[in-house]
Amino acid sequence: MSTPDASNPEIDVIDRAAGLAPGDPLHAARRFRAKVVEASEASHDALLHQPVEGLSTEDRLRVAAHVCTAAGAASLAQHYQAELAAAAGRDAPPSPALPAMLQFAGALTSDPRRGDRAAIEALRSAGLGDAAIVALAQLVAFLAYQLRVVAGLRAMHAGAEGARP
Amino acid sequence: MIRRNGFTDESLDWRSWLAPLQIADATPLQLEVLDESHAQSRTSPYYLTLAHQPLMLRHRSAAYNAIMYAPGGLPRAERELGAMVVSVSNGCVYCTSVHAQRFEQLARRSDTVEQVFDDPASAGTSERERAIARFAIAVTERPHALGADDIAPLRALGMRDEEIIDLLHAVAIFGWANRLMQNLGEPVLP
Repeated sequence: MSTPDASNPEIDVIDRAAGLAPGDPLHAARRFRAKVVEASEASHDALLHQPVEGLSTEDRLRVAAHVCTAAGAASLAQHYQAELAAAAGRDAPPSPALPAMLQFAGALTSDPRRGDRAAIEALRSAGLGDAAIVALAQLVAFLAYQLRVVAGLRAMHAGAEGARP
Repeated sequence: MIRRNGFTDESLDWRSWLAPLQIADATPLQLEVLDESHAQSRTSPYYLTLAHQPLMLRHRSAAYNAIMYAPGGLPRAERELGAMVVSVSNGCVYCTSVHAQRFEQLARRSDTVEQVFDDPASAGTSERERAIARFAIAVTERPHALGADDIAPLRALGMRDEEIIDLLHAVAIFGWANRLMQNLGEPVLP
């Protein structure tokens, strides 16, 4: 995909956001679960780039940048902003449904209990079909996972010097 | 059977707020992804809803199944403990019921489940369980403020980086799973 390190499969989006590089013990420890590493990166690519009727890649990147900023995940927010800046359709106007998408994404990110049927109906009223709503919900839910993995790895990295002999 | 605080370890159903895929309308790719996701997915409203985006479901299921079921690393009962604590913390009654059952099957006891339903922040029948529960809540509630102090108790218990990453994955993917279960539908209580 259009990630800056697409030429280097040894570094994925999570590594980059967590500040990990080949040679780092934590980079190697992640590869103990190579299937998780691969599926996390493949999820990222599919959730942002798989064509979805009524849900552009650019609007998905706007949602992702918004979610990561709101959650305090600065390095991931930068990643999604950089992808948006490099996206082919960056200058086209966003969907009229974007405000409804951002509202849904923000509520779902900060407190998963706030999800309710009315939020789904608001997305439908804004013109999203069920397949697009599934894609948007998967994206926002994935971001909750991704930003926590990055935050945990950063915490492990910060504590590594004191813990290792 | 345990019922406390609105949570239960009974088997629940789940109702979708969207229109789940009708299996007769499924494409070959959708059928393939459903079958690789879960043994009962062809009759599950949850998987049939997610099957509207088969490639997204495929990679989610690959991540989920590797995180929760792969051998080695952190014992599976402890991954289920992390999943259960996050699900209670996020208020996901359906996910809690499933992972309370899995914990009981793997650990062959339910004392920890009662504690998690009562108060996940103080739950645990051993120092190790309490450290796992506290870490799961920290990752769930304040990912932006995680630091070395949150990792130190796990390392002090002898956990290697691979095991801490297993726990981190299990806890983080329930941030994903809970949000789908709670925002695309609702549990059906018996």
